[in-house]
Amino acid sequence: MRTLVEVVARCDARGRTVLPVVRASGQLAVRRTGPTTVHLVATAFGPLGGDDAEIRLVVEEGARLAVRSVAAAVVLPARGESPSSRQVVRAEVAGALDLAPEPTVVTARADHRAEVRVQLTEAAELTVTEQVLLGRRGEDPGRWTGTTRVERSGRPLLHTTVSLGPGAPAWLPPVAPRAYVSTVRIGEPRPEVRTGLDAVRLPLAGGWVGTAWAGELHDAVAALASVTEDAALAEVAR
Amino acid sequence: MTAALLALADSRLPAGGHAHSGGVEQAITAGVLTDPGSLAAFLRRRLTTAGAVAAGLAAAACRSADDAAALAVLDAEADARTPSPAQRAASRQQGRGLVRVASRAWPDPAWASLPAQPHHPLALGVAAATAGLTPRDAAHAAAYLAVSGPATAAQRLLAMDPITVAAVTARLSPEIDRVADDAAAGDLPADTDPLLDLLTEVHAARNDRFFAS
Repeated sequence: MRTLVEVVARCDARGRTVLPVVRASGQLAVRRTGPTTVHLVATAFGPLGGDDAEIRLVVEEGARLAVRSVAAAVVLPARGESPSSRQVVRAEVAGALDLAPEPTVVTARADHRAEVRVQLTEAAELTVTEQVLLGRRGEDPGRWTGTTRVERSGRPLLHTTVSLGPGAPAWLPPVAPRAYVSTVRIGEPRPEVRTGLDAVRLPLAGGWVGTAWAGELHDAVAALASVTEDAALAEVAR
Repeated sequence: MTAALLALADSRLPAGGHAHSGGVEQAITAGVLTDPGSLAAFLRRRLTTAGAVAAGLAAAACRSADDAAALAVLDAEADARTPSPAQRAASRQQGRGLVRVASRAWPDPAWASLPAQPHHPLALGVAAATAGLTPRDAAHAAAYLAVSGPATAAQRLLAMDPITVAAVTARLSPEIDRVADDAAAGDLPADTDPLLDLLTEVHAARNDRFFAS
């Protein structure tokens, strides 16, 4: 199943954000839930193995957009030999984008590929938070591969691929966590490195990237909050 | 040309790699690396993340060895794939060390195309090109060096049996070859290991360390 979501945020003559394009087809609907906020709503179980979703976001200069989801995405395998499922977020940001969907839960035998590709202008602001849990309670972990690429004015700021789950070559005991969270933040002064227990924040030009991992999702979120001083994350962890 | 490849990957090449443990010193302190089994797991982690990225960059740099603009783009791609400041510093230190020795060994106008203090895989790619080697050769040297240096560091720090460590490294050969071939043939890999980032940064803040990284 193909899913396509498109949202454009624009700054009107009075300086307010308007959303001239809010469109979705396939397994996601999109609802405007606040002046600058949209929520993604799953309209079917899944994603299922073989599903392909693309989320295109444009945030024009002076506009702000927050993207959330109403519930965790539970990735399920297709029957038999399950192909991977894929979700790509492509964002062009000249204003401010805050992308923080609910966690992705990858069930046993499922293989999910997530990509976030962002192009920023020099003055743009970005916050992207991803939360991943491998397997539901008492279930074997699934496979998750996440690629993040952030460019500012055409120059790469960050390009990483993290692979988790059985068979991922860098997911090996004694460090093979079920829960993984990361935040990329662009649009603030370059901070110092901070390390914590299974958590690290690394400086980028004009921002930072924080990652944390744990056996349980709430522990990973708390670990990330401890190194990023992110008030919103600390709230989620509570 | 095989002899030049062996020289590039030789741990006796005085390029400064012996001062770096590739995260091994901190992995031992953290209790993640204790014996030959966990050494193999650690080296495999490193090979398939930092090693794959280094192999891809080395192959690409070898292909563009006399193109300063292309090498500058690759240097920025290397930075984007190495958000850890300590790992960036380690890579650039080893890059500078390699330029010092390899530009004497294989004098060539291509050396002027490299940025000052290049990332190590870029220096390795240009060294391979000036030595008459192929991008695939450069990728193999990079992937091999991603595990051989750390293996030696583990042997020294844990006083492990050298024969056991040599066997662990040698048994990784098919995986080293596969990582190098894939990296040289496809898009630039971006595989990363957050554990390695954390270990390297905790290590950089210590003042009781034997290795620079």
